[in-house]
Amino acid sequence: MSYFSLEYIAMITGFLLIVLGIWAILTYKNLLKIVIGFSLFDTGINIIIVSIAYVKNSTAPIIDSAVSLKDAVNKIADPVPQALVLTSIVIGLGVTALMLAYVLKLYQDKKTLDIESFTDLKW
Amino acid sequence: MISPIHIISISLGVAFAIGFLGKNSNKLSAVIMLLTIGILTFISAQWAQAFYFGNQETVQIFTAGYKPPFSINLQIGVSESIIILLINSIGLLGGIYLFDTLVKTGKNAVVVYLIFIMSLNQVVLTQDIFNLFVFLEIQSIATAGLIVLERNRNSISSGFKYMIATGIISSLLLIGIVFGYYFTGSLNIADFIQANMMLSKGGAVALFLILASLLLELKPFPANGWALDVYESIKPGTSAMLSAASASAVLFALYKVLPAGNPQTFEIVLGFGLITFVGSNLLGIKQTNPQRLLGYSSVGQIGLIVAILGMKPFLGEKFTFIAIAIFISHFLAKAGLFWLSGIIKADNIRDWANLRKKPFLLVLFGTFVFTLIGFPPFPSFFGKWELIMQLSQSGYWYLVGVILLGSFFEGIYLFKWLGYAIKLDNVNLPEFNINWKKIIPVAIVGVLTYLAGYYSSFFTTGTEHFEKFFVPLFFIAILYFLDFLPNFVKNIIAIAGMSYYGYILLPGLYETDLLRFIFGAIFIVGGVLTLIAGFTYKGQRKGFHPAALMMFAGLGGIIQASNMIEFFFSWEMMTLGSYILIIRGKKSMPHGLSYMLFSLAGAYLILAAFGFTFSQNGISLEALKGLAFAPNLIYGLLAVGFMTKTASLGLHIWLPGAHAEAESDVSPMVSAILLKAGVFGLIILFLSMGAEAAGQNSILYLLGWLGAITALVGNTAASFQEDAKKLLAYSSIGQLGYILFAFSIMTHLGWLAGFTYSINHFLFKAVLFLAIGAVVLRLKTHNMYEMGGLIKRMPFAFIAVLIGIITLSGVPPLSGFAGKWLFYNAVIEKGWYFQGTIVFFAGTIAFLYSFRLIHSIFLGQLKDNHRTVKDISIWFIIPIYTLIIGIMIFSARPDLILKPIGNFLMPYFPTDALSWTDTMAKTRLGYWDGTWVMIIIGIMFSLIFAWLFILSRKATKVEQFNIAYSGERPERPETTHMAHNIYAGFNKAVGFIVTPNISKFWASASENLDGAAGYFRRIYNGNGQTYALHIIIYTLAMYLMIF
Amino acid sequence: MDIINKLLFVLLGLFIILNFGLFMGVSMRKIVARVARRNGVPFYQPWLDLIKLYGTRDQISHGIMFYLGPVFRLSGGVGIFLFMPLIFGSQYFNNFSFAGDLVLILYFQFFGMLGMALGAGEGGHPYSAIGISRGLSQFTTIEVPMTLAVISLGIQYNTLSISEIVAAQQGGFQNWTVFTNPFATAAAMLSLLGAFGHSPFNLVKAPNEIPIGPPTEYHSTFLGVLQTNAAILHVIEAVLFMNLFFGGAVNWFELMLKSFLIYFWSVFVGVVFPRYRIEQSVQWFLKVPLLLGVIAIIIYM
Repeated sequence: MSYFSLEYIAMITGFLLIVLGIWAILTYKNLLKIVIGFSLFDTGINIIIVSIAYVKNSTAPIIDSAVSLKDAVNKIADPVPQALVLTSIVIGLGVTALMLAYVLKLYQDKKTLDIESFTDLKW
Repeated sequence: MISPIHIISISLGVAFAIGFLGKNSNKLSAVIMLLTIGILTFISAQWAQAFYFGNQETVQIFTAGYKPPFSINLQIGVSESIIILLINSIGLLGGIYLFDTLVKTGKNAVVVYLIFIMSLNQVVLTQDIFNLFVFLEIQSIATAGLIVLERNRNSISSGFKYMIATGIISSLLLIGIVFGYYFTGSLNIADFIQANMMLSKGGAVALFLILASLLLELKPFPANGWALDVYESIKPGTSAMLSAASASAVLFALYKVLPAGNPQTFEIVLGFGLITFVGSNLLGIKQTNPQRLLGYSSVGQIGLIVAILGMKPFLGEKFTFIAIAIFISHFLAKAGLFWLSGIIKADNIRDWANLRKKPFLLVLFGTFVFTLIGFPPFPSFFGKWELIMQLSQSGYWYLVGVILLGSFFEGIYLFKWLGYAIKLDNVNLPEFNINWKKIIPVAIVGVLTYLAGYYSSFFTTGTEHFEKFFVPLFFIAILYFLDFLPNFVKNIIAIAGMSYYGYILLPGLYETDLLRFIFGAIFIVGGVLTLIAGFTYKGQRKGFHPAALMMFAGLGGIIQASNMIEFFFSWEMMTLGSYILIIRGKKSMPHGLSYMLFSLAGAYLILAAFGFTFSQNGISLEALKGLAFAPNLIYGLLAVGFMTKTASLGLHIWLPGAHAEAESDVSPMVSAILLKAGVFGLIILFLSMGAEAAGQNSILYLLGWLGAITALVGNTAASFQEDAKKLLAYSSIGQLGYILFAFSIMTHLGWLAGFTYSINHFLFKAVLFLAIGAVVLRLKTHNMYEMGGLIKRMPFAFIAVLIGIITLSGVPPLSGFAGKWLFYNAVIEKGWYFQGTIVFFAGTIAFLYSFRLIHSIFLGQLKDNHRTVKDISIWFIIPIYTLIIGIMIFSARPDLILKPIGNFLMPYFPTDALSWTDTMAKTRLGYWDGTWVMIIIGIMFSLIFAWLFILSRKATKVEQFNIAYSGERPERPETTHMAHNIYAGFNKAVGFIVTPNISKFWASASENLDGAAGYFRRIYNGNGQTYALHIIIYTLAMYLMIF
Repeated sequence: MDIINKLLFVLLGLFIILNFGLFMGVSMRKIVARVARRNGVPFYQPWLDLIKLYGTRDQISHGIMFYLGPVFRLSGGVGIFLFMPLIFGSQYFNNFSFAGDLVLILYFQFFGMLGMALGAGEGGHPYSAIGISRGLSQFTTIEVPMTLAVISLGIQYNTLSISEIVAAQQGGFQNWTVFTNPFATAAAMLSLLGAFGHSPFNLVKAPNEIPIGPPTEYHSTFLGVLQTNAAILHVIEAVLFMNLFFGGAVNWFELMLKSFLIYFWSVFVGVVFPRYRIEQSVQWFLKVPLLLGVIAIIIYM
């Protein structure tokens, strides 16, 4: 695996996105920006998952005329992470939607999006 | 049998189907949902039964027609079946509990609830790590949905915090899973375990991320602020599900994945679990909101279970039992407590006094609290016992200490809370509604705790002969269900039960074991006598009899115990019963708490010592003898543990209040009788130390000094009391100091003195406390200076107190002198001159309070409002005079009792220190003939009395104020009754002895603990971002510690 | 020796002690009077007092415990007498000392005190209670050096039997405890000052500088009984110290001389020193006397 191969770049990007996402979650006070941080985080993970599945010069994991069952192992990309990433995206969507619903409710309550104003419960 | 896959399919099917129902079918959908969960429960019960009673093997269920790793597989074995049975049944009960809320919120909420339960099932069943992740996510989303069942500002903001936290955690989990897959090529947990991921750095990191995120899901301290906010703000019904059901699933997930690690992984999980247990319980001390407090407790308990998972490698075959026993206690009790908080609807634990309006709810509350702390007969007792034993066995003694410390912290806030519920004023609190849908689930889990406890006893080492300890408990349970009967009837039943117990127990003991016979007689005969006094009370006297009998059953149990678990079980039963008895007093709340906390700490020390003993010599009580390793540590722990009950100096501050504020017939029970349990424990300890070797033991030397100083301080403090019952209470401290001193001497004579003191203290303290208690019942005050001159109104009480104080002060001819005489001989023979002198000094101080007691109450001036008061109740007179007959027999024929004791001591202390010729006792130093002394004094007294009577038989009786008073007639008794602060001069001279430094010490200790809890809990600042930061830091810290 | 004989000798001994006690009491009063340059009462005064008191017909009672108080008191005095061996080597005057040893006597002292305290208490006079509370307070610390001294004797002679302690001191005054164990003796003799209750330790009996309280409330026969007891008790306590520290007595003359001197010691101190407040006297016994007692033990450890 060379340093400039596609999967390597993808993985680095994924990690950068994760760090970026965490950074956003931890530093931005705006609720919406925090939710966006989560989206970045999720995306980063998804990219990493896909990058793991990538096998150089291989084709999509569909067994048809192009790829016979016999040499599938050598020719196709790993199908499992691809399945995972689909699930992960769906879950990420669900979570994001729910979070946004919460954000909406919070905003309706206090007319602000500053996370520091929702600290009534503590200790 | 129905395949567990259908748990998923049925739930999903029903969830979709509900969507098709019409708009107004909320109720129907909720019913369908409950039926569905009922079916799930049935399925899991069927499996559990097959595993447990049949010979069902673990089953793998493959999906999609492929074997793993190419498909997801489920596994159901014995553990899985039990866990999902628990989850589904609590889901069913929780569904019933939340029924109204769910119906009101709509059928979407119903669906969410169903999906929530389903996802937990799948988390338990799945063997595929990614599937685990998916269902954990579904569980999180469902939880986020359930959170908004309660719609207010706090619940919504806490829901958002929850989403932030679980979002980060699940992302970490996902990264871990993906890299785990990368390194192992499989998503199957079994393959993960096979693959030995710890060998490669990358695999180790992946596994670390998986484990860390599972751990984080379990809300480890201190990265758990989000969870606490959720627990506090949402519907208690939902909190119950989170604490009980979700936690069980995630714990099981952790349990499944954990074997993929290496021994070090287990240690780390253990460490973080324990940090959570101790830390969370410490911070719980400062909580006042019931739900938040339960949140802290929940976090703590789960931490303990996590730690137990981490201990798996060295708990051996007992691991499953320990984990399940402790887990199920948490599971049932926490669900019950959260549900109760939903019924009571109070924001402050002080308002739980309201619970008392429905006494059976209070009983349930108590049940749950005692279950959490690990009192018998609940499963956690057996679980904790076995945990401590196995930990000690494996040599992890320090872990024993940490666990007990955490448990103690938990005890602090739970018992404070229980005390509030039992005692605080509830008049101004609003009425609350009783909804059977909410009561039934609580009642069911309440009953289950008892069943689970009973069942747990079968799995614990050393419980082969436990039936004799359970039979009294069944009797007590029956008595509890008869609680609606009038006091009179219940008292007869109780006395009959006790008498029968004594009848079958005592005669046999006299032949075989005199030591146990003596203490058994004190416990049971004393119990019967003090119970007789209970006839005075009118009405139902709810809750008294079960508590009293529980205490006596415990006391009887420690006599019968032949191994350490029997002893400890009985010891804790006794503590439990006596706590309830003590806290029944009007102003007893703080005293009940301090009694409980000292008892708890003492019990934990005993438990630790038993554990360390077990690890060397096995479980029999005989194992305490001849310890090869760290004997002084073990003996020291035991001594301190037992001394919490004997209230030796430093550990005594609970006693005065507890004894003084208790009810009139309870004070003698807890003073004359209960304190002897500690003495019995010390005797067992001293006997185990071995007579010859122990003579040189420095522990005994220290105990001797401690006993002497306790006697001095206790007696001096007693002299300065204005409250009659407090005076007697401090006197008990002093007397127990004598007893401690006497037994510490460890010679034939010393022990004889110790036994004499124990018997005497039982007799006279019962007489005094009964008499004074009866007087207090009549006068409605404890303050002696408000009494006076009562000899005219209460001659029977006066005579009783007179006999009592003569015995107490050791004046011949009554039996108290036997103790003093033996003491002199023992002290000189042993060479403990200075300690002995302090003890004798204390003895003379006893005259001060004896005189004060009898003078201030019975002599001096009769008060106007007492001119028509009647003598004490006949129900007090009967036991008092029975005891006085005992004193008289012991005084006239001390040989009858002391000779057999001497013979009993021969095997232990073979020196023939005391010989008897008829009634004459002779030692190396001196001699004494109790019978002759009695005869001589009796005759002389009669002669002088006759002489005076002949000379002055015509003396005129005069009125009360007819005294020489400088020509004035003092008409107010208050001004003429010299009673308040009568030892002012003595106080000025030696009062410094009793400056309450020890009380101050404990007060500042508890303040500091409180302060620490208050300080550290500030990390939970309520900001979701901070909580996210906690999670990140926690993970990083773990990472740095591991790699 | 049969029991009748025994009883007769006991009564004879009691009679001697009583009369000697009355004599000793009046001699001390004379001595104190002379020190104060007064004449004092005539020597026959106590006997006259007793006759008068026992003869008084006018009597009042506050109740049954009030009545029993003097009975307790006198029983206490006579009881100590009964348990005390008087004349060493005499089979006639060792009373009922077979029933118990030194410890019995130490604790039987309380019998009378307690009964008296209770009787006076029922009288209802506040000064009685004050006096008793002071007396008890003072007594607690008087006992500390005394206990140390007794323990020291117990170690020294290896016995707590008074007869054996006396026996061990025979054969010349150099064998007396006062010479063989001077520290214990000193401690005990200082605590004796408190036990006899002369100045400086007589605040107990003088609660208000007026003779009020028990001596006033108790009158006529009751006071007679109390005075009888006082006479017996003073001698017998002196005899106790004589037996323990000054070689006992082999005949009545020796007994009278020694007990007179022992008693005189407290009177002598009393006329020299002024009265202590109660907290002062309580503390006093915890200073030098306590130290002496501790030394008395340390030398035997």
